[in-house]
Amino acid sequence: MRVPVRRLLLPLAALCAFAAAGARGDGYDRWWEPGEGRTFPVQLDYPNDQGTLRLLLTGGPLETKGHPFFEPLGPNGRACITCHQPADSMSLSAQTARERWDTTQGEDPLFAASDGSNCPTLPQGDRASHSLLLKRGLFRIQLPWPTREWNGKPIVPDFRIEVVRDPNGCNSGPKYGPAAGNLSVYRRPRPLANMKYLLAVGFPFDPKQGYALPLDPDTHKPMSGNLMADNRTGNLRLQMEDASSTHLAFARRLTREQIDRITDFEMRIFAAQQTSNRGGAVDTLGARGGPAKLRDSEPGQLGSIGEPVWSEFAAWEHIPPADAARLKPEELAFRQSVARGAKVFRDKTFLITDSAGINSRIGFGNPVRNSCVFCHNMTQMGNDVAPGQVDLGTTTMPFADPMPDLPLFRITCLKAPHPHYGRVFYTMDPGFGLTSGRCADVGKITLQSMRGLSARAPYFSNGLAKDLRGVVDYYDRRYNIGYTEQEKQDLVNLMSVL
Amino acid sequence: MKTIAALLMLAAPMAAQAQETGSLVRFVACPTYRDADSGRKSGCWLADDRATGRRWDVSLSPYKPDWNFAVLVEGRVTDAKPDACGAPVLDPVRTSRLLDQPCVRHMLPAEGYPGRRYKLQGRYIDPLSVPRAVPPGPYAERTFPVYFEFDNDFLIYQYDDYLLDKAVTWIRAAKPKKLVVTGFAATVPEMVSGQRIAERPEVARERAETIAETLRRLVEVPVEVKWQAGSQPTAEPDADRLPGQSQRRAEIRALF
Ligand code: HEC
Ligand code: HEC
Repeated sequence: MRVPVRRLLLPLAALCAFAAAGARGDGYDRWWEPGEGRTFPVQLDYPNDQGTLRLLLTGGPLETKGHPFFEPLGPNGRACITCHQPADSMSLSAQTARERWDTTQGEDPLFAASDGSNCPTLPQGDRASHSLLLKRGLFRIQLPWPTREWNGKPIVPDFRIEVVRDPNGCNSGPKYGPAAGNLSVYRRPRPLANMKYLLAVGFPFDPKQGYALPLDPDTHKPMSGNLMADNRTGNLRLQMEDASSTHLAFARRLTREQIDRITDFEMRIFAAQQTSNRGGAVDTLGARGGPAKLRDSEPGQLGSIGEPVWSEFAAWEHIPPADAARLKPEELAFRQSVARGAKVFRDKTFLITDSAGINSRIGFGNPVRNSCVFCHNMTQMGNDVAPGQVDLGTTTMPFADPMPDLPLFRITCLKAPHPHYGRVFYTMDPGFGLTSGRCADVGKITLQSMRGLSARAPYFSNGLAKDLRGVVDYYDRRYNIGYTEQEKQDLVNLMSVL
Repeated sequence: MKTIAALLMLAAPMAAQAQETGSLVRFVACPTYRDADSGRKSGCWLADDRATGRRWDVSLSPYKPDWNFAVLVEGRVTDAKPDACGAPVLDPVRTSRLLDQPCVRHMLPAEGYPGRRYKLQGRYIDPLSVPRAVPPGPYAERTFPVYFEFDNDFLIYQYDDYLLDKAVTWIRAAKPKKLVVTGFAATVPEMVSGQRIAERPEVARERAETIAETLRRLVEVPVEVKWQAGSQPTAEPDADRLPGQSQRRAEIRALF
């Protein structure tokens, strides 16, 4: 199909306007209001603290007017775009949430009582009632308990859940909590871009669960297992039905056409950091950072047998003197640091211990010596090629940081004890255990995409790390790695340009 | 049963003396991790046989220990030098985690031993993007065994996935009428390191159902499930000459 040149030019002009106007805090252009009917251009840049994020849309510009991803479908005024904002790499940073609160005095549909507040029972006008979203970027996720399969079939869990701490009131009382048949956890929105990677299937088996991959109920093909913190929805259709009925309070079922149009958009959008304030464009001097390579590459490759993870920056390991001379000294130093960071990510090993999904049941050993790339192994994305349900300890004691504003659950395994935590242990979010109903899966959280990180702090499913340094410090504590200050800086710099 | 007894009798006298190359050792021990570092996955697993007082390098097991639990070690003595980890090497070797027997975690420093640099080798599968070679016909009734660790039904990474991938490739080409999966459990108690050990009879069924579920996701042939407590060792090459390993199996029989 041929698109008249003039039709392409208009959105491109619009794009330049956004890029120029998009200084942090500059309300309108940065924030995509549901239903505002903007055109989504083929390329869109947004500045963030570390540089610029670039979004690429394949297949030409998109009229968002009437598009089910961008229109408020339900009565609460929200659309998918509300929590999956382009400037935030199709997630939502806590900073953006705070800016929205300040701009709208808390009136934005983002703060809907149902899940944009700590609990609907709290006085909604108070900022404090939305503290989890404003401080940690977390939405309330209410899940049925005991859990059900995607087709409604009940699952008999092999563990018991009791509420130990309920600081927000959504895990107790007549309507909320396990006693009332549900459970509330609090999670970050996952970045909705580069989706072909998250859906890619590398191998026929899930080595962590010890089965062939489960089949997609719609296509009967194997599913990647890489969606959602708890993998409760295995394909995009199931995910958007879950999202529209909960986040959008949409009471009806999405039509076939709506499902197709949302899927179409989800598959076309790519996002990654394009420039660094300190290092310049990430696709120069031989480097191949940025979203274009992501868009153009084959998804689902295992870094260890193909292109090594973050080898996008290999050319910066040895910048020829002639090129180096043309960079500012700080720029050169930053680029060299990014290249070292990629090597630290792949090569600096440490002992990984007591992380279910890695140290059990799969037989790598407990402990096993490996590096960041062991788990973050997909080329270009840093998610897990195999279904990525791993217990890093971010939500579970004793490895999680104390987070007194989150609920705490006591888990009692009714059959075999948990291989690392024993029969009774404590978690703020059982993660994949809520989906599988298995004690051994409690605390496992699906690895996310590692792209566009600079646009979407805080990090980890529960916002435990407020910045990238916080991520590295968490790993350093968790696995007693002993990174040098230089190595920490290099990792942070690497992650800031992904 | 005779076969196991015979194999055990063969193994027993040798265990007392310096063990000869190729002889079988089988014992229960708390594993020790030696923090050798030649990069990823290079650390060492050691286990001491209390009966002989000998320490073995059991790192070549496809399913490695958890330092918090005892392991059932089954392996064959090699004449490899103890250079990598500081102990004579068992190969082939298996280390089944015994999750009801807690151990104090113990880690030794490298003490100059390098461990083994990781190399992708042996039983591993290609990504789905690599087309599988179609196995040549003619196709007739055939049985594919898959193996497990002691008392569990977990599909062993870079062992069972490899065996299943081969079986499935053949099944897709051969198009049998149905598959019968039979799970076996080694339920007859044996004395190992002064302990009576036996698999639960239920694990036979668990194995059969695990493999059947996996097959249903991979091929469109009807799968029937059977199980049987009690299991004879076999001489199947993929059990690596380890009688215990050959007993802990499920068999996929393709019928036409
Ligand atoms: C109120 C905020 C909010 C709205 C509105 C929202 N989402 Fe989300 N989205 C989230 C959160 C939070 C998660 C993570 C949930 C989890 O992990 O359990 C998520 C996760 C996802 C994921 C999974 C991505 C991944 O990498 O795992 C997809 C896909 C997604 N949303 C699509 C949609 C679609 C389509 C809509 C509109 C129908 C939508 N979302 C509306 C907050 C929202
Ligand atoms: C044992 C497996 C494992 C290893 C090793 C590992 N990670 Fe992770 N990583 C995970 C899991 C699981 C998550 C998701 C946890 C969560 O969200 O609570 C995660 C999440 C992340 C995130 C958060 C992404 C986001 O969107 O919030 C970053 C960044 C990250 N890891 C970086 C690293 C770095 C740097 C290293 C090396 C120091 C590393 N990881 C090593 C398993 C691992």
